[in-house]
Amino acid sequence: MHIEHLSLTNFRNYARLEWTLPKGTTVIHGANAQGKTSLLEAIYYLATSRSPYTTSDRQLIHWRAETDPIPYARLAAEVCTRHRPLDRIDMTLMLDTTNGDGARFKKVVKINGAEKRVMDLVGLVNVVLFLPRDLTLVEGSPSDRRGFMNDTLAQVDQDYLDALSTYDKILPQRNALLRRISDNLAAPHELDYWDSQLVKAGAVLIAGRQRFLRELEADAQKAHHDLTGKRETLTLDYQPSFTPTAGGDGQLSFNTTGLDLHRELSAEQIAPQFAEQLEAEKGEAIKRGVTLSGPHRDELRLHINGRDAGLYGSRGQARTAVMALKLAELSWMKQRIGEWPLLLLDEVIAELDASRRAYLLDRLDGATQTLMTTTELDIFTTSFLERAAVLRIVDGQIAAETP
Amino acid sequence: MSKAIPEPVIRLTEAFARLPGIGPKTAARLTYFLLRAPDEISQSLADALHDLKTETKFCSVCFNITVSDPCEICADAKRDGRVIAVVEEPLDVLAIERTGAYSGKYHVLHGAISPVNNIGPDDLRIRELVERVGQQDVLEVIIATNPGMEGDATAMYIKRELEPKGVKIQRLARGLPVGGDLEYVDSVTLTRALQGRSEF
Ligand SMILES: [Zn+2]
Repeated sequence: MHIEHLSLTNFRNYARLEWTLPKGTTVIHGANAQGKTSLLEAIYYLATSRSPYTTSDRQLIHWRAETDPIPYARLAAEVCTRHRPLDRIDMTLMLDTTNGDGARFKKVVKINGAEKRVMDLVGLVNVVLFLPRDLTLVEGSPSDRRGFMNDTLAQVDQDYLDALSTYDKILPQRNALLRRISDNLAAPHELDYWDSQLVKAGAVLIAGRQRFLRELEADAQKAHHDLTGKRETLTLDYQPSFTPTAGGDGQLSFNTTGLDLHRELSAEQIAPQFAEQLEAEKGEAIKRGVTLSGPHRDELRLHINGRDAGLYGSRGQARTAVMALKLAELSWMKQRIGEWPLLLLDEVIAELDASRRAYLLDRLDGATQTLMTTTELDIFTTSFLERAAVLRIVDGQIAAETP
Repeated sequence: MSKAIPEPVIRLTEAFARLPGIGPKTAARLTYFLLRAPDEISQSLADALHDLKTETKFCSVCFNITVSDPCEICADAKRDGRVIAVVEEPLDVLAIERTGAYSGKYHVLHGAISPVNNIGPDDLRIRELVERVGQQDVLEVIIATNPGMEGDATAMYIKRELEPKGVKIQRLARGLPVGGDLEYVDSVTLTRALQGRSEF
């Protein structure tokens, strides 16, 4: 798939941009803070309705627009995929300051001119984004690794996305109720509804993650073998906060062996075990006012030759493992949607040494559309640059285009 | 606010600003509008505000807002008292009445269960509903809380409380947009949902 045209109005530092994107590889080049990253951010936002760089959507609206009575930003893209010749996606982000109690953020999504729910965006544009931050995925926090699974799965699996959004709404309600029970403001049986919903959504997430990681592992291993000359073997270790088993005698995972990825469990098999787990720890959960088990506490560990790369690996090993994982994500997505997703690489090429860089660029060869940002052009070989389109961005404008 | 502004002006502006959907700017604009407008406009507003609280009350049967107690709907002998529709807000009663497709009575909860907002079953008129079902000759309860998480949680709770009473319990939800408020659902959709309600 590829994006044919991108329009931005008041988005980050783009007051106005109309950009017809070339297919193939585009290198977006310029000094820092000129707006290179915002281009990738805009495309990622159109695909997922979420920014990888900020949790506050209102920051996406150009600061100069803030003096308007209703500051707004607009993003629009024309997208071509294998299955659909042309879709026009339109998003308007508004900061409504006219109705008191602080400004209210509003997002309006239109697909081919008709207003849709944000959920309906899913699958129209699929992207794989690679950031320097991803390079610390192995040593980083568990929530980064859950984010990796969520961001990829939610782009292609509507059931997973629905379950994730339900889970994220139920969890704070359940936690609030646990605290109310502990304060004697509510009765334990009031948990029933929230538990049943949490279990239903949570089981879909666990089953989805298990399947995703199983499908990912072979590709990740292959890329990792390529990168290490077969000296090292990468394995993925999925550790749900409790371990569902095929037999149903689930128990807490104090060990590090995690869930066997190759014995597939369905959401229907997992749900009753998750329910049992919540029941078993109810007293403790009430005492502490938090939900102790569930996909929000899952872990994903990466092992190299059987040893935990986050704990015992070198920085170089951790980076290699991440690269293998990201490349596997790309293959997985390609497999799932039946064509190349959009590739967005933000400043990440410069972070890699020459051999990893060469391997990465080689693996991306043939992609339908790749956008990569960089502050320096000389990290690329001349022959690579000859085949790519090169853009220079200065102060929210496309200043020059070569060839 | 500056001392140059007379105290009654400040007081009214602050009173407006406490209302939902009204910010300080709008509050000031409303105040200055009234200041310049003919006396009868502010007088009729003052009267209306005064009467709102002194001349309305909750119906002691269904807890809808009413002038007379019991309310007109509860007092109407032509309506079928054996069927009760349970709604979150008085405006939901209006939405269902607009369809003309319902001839039973109502019960207004005044909210929905929401632990994050510190609203539990005891903050709603659920106990009164259970008592009412036990005392009156009720055959069917239609739970018409809003579709979505909080409305569902409330519906589940009510179902559990009413089950021992042996009444038919139905949920009005099918075909309604999830997350939407009943009061904004158009009459055609709501009528269809009323006809296609299902036991749960
Ligand atoms: Zn009444």
